[in-house]
Amino acid sequence: MESVEKQQHVSSAKESRLSEKKKDMLSGYLYVAPFFIIFGIIGLYPAVFSIVLAFQEWNGLGEMDFVGLRNFTVVLQDPLFWKSLYNTVIIGLMGTAPQLIVGLILAYFLNMAAVRFTNFFRVTIFMPYITSMVAVALVFGVFFSSNETALANYVIGWFGIDPVSWKTSEWGAKFAISLMVFWRWVGYNTIIYLAGLQSIPKHLYEAATIDGANKVQQFMHITIPLLKPFILLTVFMATVGALQLFAEPTVFLGSSAFTRDEAMTVVMYLYRDAFSLGSFGTASATAILLLIIIVGAAALNTWLTSGAGRRKKGA
Amino acid sequence: MSEHVKKRFKRGNIPVYIALGFASALSIFPFYWMFVMATQPSAAYNSIPPTLLPGGMLIENFQKVLNTIPFFQAMWNTILLCSVVTIIVLLISSLSGFAFAKFSFPGKNFLFICILLTMVIPPQLGLIPQYYLISQLGWLDTLFGAGVLFLLNPLGIFLMRQYISESVPDELIEAAKLDGCSNFRIYRSIVLPIIKPAFATLGIIVFTLVWGEFLWQFTVLRDPSSYTLQVALASLNNSFNVDFGMLLSGVFWATVPLVVIFLIFNKWFISSITEGSIK
Amino acid sequence: MKLKKSLLSGLLLSMSALLIACGGDEDSASGEGKDVTLDFWVFGATNYEDLAKEYEEENPDVKINIKTSELEDHHNSLFTAISAGTGAPDLTMIEVDQLDRYREAQDRFTNMYDLGADEIEDQYLDWKWNMAANGEGDFLFGLPTDIGPKAMYYHSEVFENAGLPTDPDEVSELISTPEEFADAADKVLEATDKPMVDSMEMAFRANMDALEQSYFNRDGELLISENNGVKDAYDYAVELHEQGYVSDFEMWTPEWGDALNKGSFGVEMAPAWLKGYMTENAPEAAGDWRVTTLPSDFAGNWGGSYVAIPKETEHSEEAYEFSKWLLSPENQLESFTESGLFPSTPETYEMEEFTSNSDEYFGGQNTAEYFAEAAKEIPEVYKGPKYVTVNNEVLTALRNVQEGGDPEQEWEEAVERIEGLIDR
Repeated sequence: MESVEKQQHVSSAKESRLSEKKKDMLSGYLYVAPFFIIFGIIGLYPAVFSIVLAFQEWNGLGEMDFVGLRNFTVVLQDPLFWKSLYNTVIIGLMGTAPQLIVGLILAYFLNMAAVRFTNFFRVTIFMPYITSMVAVALVFGVFFSSNETALANYVIGWFGIDPVSWKTSEWGAKFAISLMVFWRWVGYNTIIYLAGLQSIPKHLYEAATIDGANKVQQFMHITIPLLKPFILLTVFMATVGALQLFAEPTVFLGSSAFTRDEAMTVVMYLYRDAFSLGSFGTASATAILLLIIIVGAAALNTWLTSGAGRRKKGA
Repeated sequence: MSEHVKKRFKRGNIPVYIALGFASALSIFPFYWMFVMATQPSAAYNSIPPTLLPGGMLIENFQKVLNTIPFFQAMWNTILLCSVVTIIVLLISSLSGFAFAKFSFPGKNFLFICILLTMVIPPQLGLIPQYYLISQLGWLDTLFGAGVLFLLNPLGIFLMRQYISESVPDELIEAAKLDGCSNFRIYRSIVLPIIKPAFATLGIIVFTLVWGEFLWQFTVLRDPSSYTLQVALASLNNSFNVDFGMLLSGVFWATVPLVVIFLIFNKWFISSITEGSIK
Repeated sequence: MKLKKSLLSGLLLSMSALLIACGGDEDSASGEGKDVTLDFWVFGATNYEDLAKEYEEENPDVKINIKTSELEDHHNSLFTAISAGTGAPDLTMIEVDQLDRYREAQDRFTNMYDLGADEIEDQYLDWKWNMAANGEGDFLFGLPTDIGPKAMYYHSEVFENAGLPTDPDEVSELISTPEEFADAADKVLEATDKPMVDSMEMAFRANMDALEQSYFNRDGELLISENNGVKDAYDYAVELHEQGYVSDFEMWTPEWGDALNKGSFGVEMAPAWLKGYMTENAPEAAGDWRVTTLPSDFAGNWGGSYVAIPKETEHSEEAYEFSKWLLSPENQLESFTESGLFPSTPETYEMEEFTSNSDEYFGGQNTAEYFAEAAKEIPEVYKGPKYVTVNNEVLTALRNVQEGGDPEQEWEEAVERIEGLIDR
């Protein structure tokens, strides 16, 4: 009797585990479905439309003409496309890499149990993300104006550097925009890192303290490895964001944003094609090229970051 | 708040305070300057060296804003739009994040990568087809049309997946399952309470994103009664005859509620830190 | 299960809340027993909202819904709507530089001639009217609103210090050719160490806005590789720059506003709409600036708009009646006194209120009559759909020259870039 009961119990457990698996599968699909349903309604059509456009000549108003790969050759042969790609990468490196490192450090400070006023600091450091772009543009516009009297020129004057025309010189424009990107997004990354730091169980630190590990050791051996997924996330986001850079340079340069090449980014290049040249075909072709570049760069960056983390763990 | 009292000021942390103080000062400056301009006549904007102290036109400038645009109507629309979008995004993201973190189902990784890939489509180009779609669906001039694009938030799903997989122990879920809890019950009574801080983070990011977005809202909303703040503010900015005092007053007062909302959400961050330190 | 349901219904509820909230607003806005509602898109500072209210009182069966925005946003959303073929308003303003872009989409606009526009043609300046017609002259895109005839704003103190006359008529007599303009610039520089012109763009625009044919002809062919007026305008700007007469204040920047305020340069060549900006943003200079006629070689138009009726509308007749009323000589006078929109109806220039107009900011001068005089001398220009983009390339070349580039080389590079651009 007993054994039969046992057997029955085991088999019913098996059954329920099987159905449990099915249930999990069902729940899984059900829970991820909303995103795909919404994407199907409003995201898919524009995406397909853009791909189709890349092979057409269209000014937004008249008839479409199929032109095969011509849009791609036009773009790839345009020196300005390559210049804009170069600008995007340079500004991306100058603006985003430091932002991730500083964001991580700030988040670590804000999460330190012994630091007071974190409430206040957290709000102020997040402020740039909240501050309206109009105000940001005006402030940065005044600080980095092209005139010799610009405040930024006054500041670099202390270090004996000659005035720079910030909006029209090759490195002046890139530097000012990178700084703007850095300034605007540091707080954002800090907040994400902070969420990550809070998902780390506190007893790990307590145990490490008992074992005699100092703060730096704790940071390197507990914080960084456990924060890795969040670091990967921000690296991925920053890569995508940097390659899609549009708002900061347009706002900073104002009326000359689409006429000068010192700080024209790839998205600005395609926006200009579409909305001021009325060339939606080449704009879409550029978008597809950019998409390929972004996927490549994001994959590479995430791979590099995760690889670095793994090696550290192994060592 | 009591745990704040417990924290004692330590000398060793002075460099940390200096770093944080420096970062705070730089971060807050444009916001402060916006306030200064909101209290000055338009011409102060052109003065060289720049004006750095507040003037006496705080109320006068805001009065001009109120006379020019339906400010409070727009603010109500904006709050409604942002709140609903944020709640829906939090629900969608946490549900999908939960599924990606804790369930196994065929094609899981593929679907996850698909979601991430939707992030790399540059939004500027989709404007015309998206507009066409929204107008065909009859959603022009509705806040629904203005908000629907923001419901797609890959970052939220990623963030939630990460947070749930690290901070919700598998054992807890297994135990709940043995007690006969349904998956949704587990989500509601186990996952949701744990991920509160992540909700605060994602919530404030989404809320701010929708609050500040202009181009899409401007394209979709054409009837003044449906205007959001950014759309309403845009009519204050006309380059031929711009009154900077009025413009920045509008921009400033349109940002203040965000700060207040951030302060409210801030409590959630704190509660999680406290929980950690008590353990 | 229960929870799931309640959550789901909560989600649906909140989504429908958005739809209802706005649907309700729309109903209340279009209700009130009006038979026809006209959506009218407007940009910049106009008094059209007030005029629309006046019209609604006179015509109780018509309701007018105005959406005001900034120039660039306005045209982008208009383009989106026209391109998607849905959601365009019943009436819209179109700025003159943007108009040519829509020529290819003629079928998406109502021909104003079909609605009887030929009856009121005489009221408007010919050049302004013809610029909104197609090449054959049988299709009219829109009715003229305001225009932007350029005049010369000069700083009287700077002129006085340079030993130049300060009376408007004496100034226009002294400076009546491009050469005399350069001579005066020389005197200003010698005596006050100030540049005559604020930027390369203005120096270039001086001749550019006066050209009948600029970059393209009506067949869309690029003209600048041959020697036409564009290169001359470019050369003139370069020449002024080489003499040191041109500064680098970019329009609308704080430095530029500060320069207007302090009189850091002698002359601004701009239309009447600059007055509004100056009174608001350069208050310290009140009484310092005067307005006079430009040399006739520089007489040109900068800005101004039309009101068009997209084909989608179901109320083209009502829309036309309203625009005809809105842009009548009498109401243009009102728009001028209220918002500084310069009238496109010469009749208005004779009206009492117009001729007795006096500007406190300009030392009590009646500036309007100088703009009115300039309005009559303006050539009819065809700009072409890519005018703005092409023009920007030349401006880039000019800015590079200012920063030390070689003028000829910069010009050749600009032409090369332009040829690449229009090929798309």
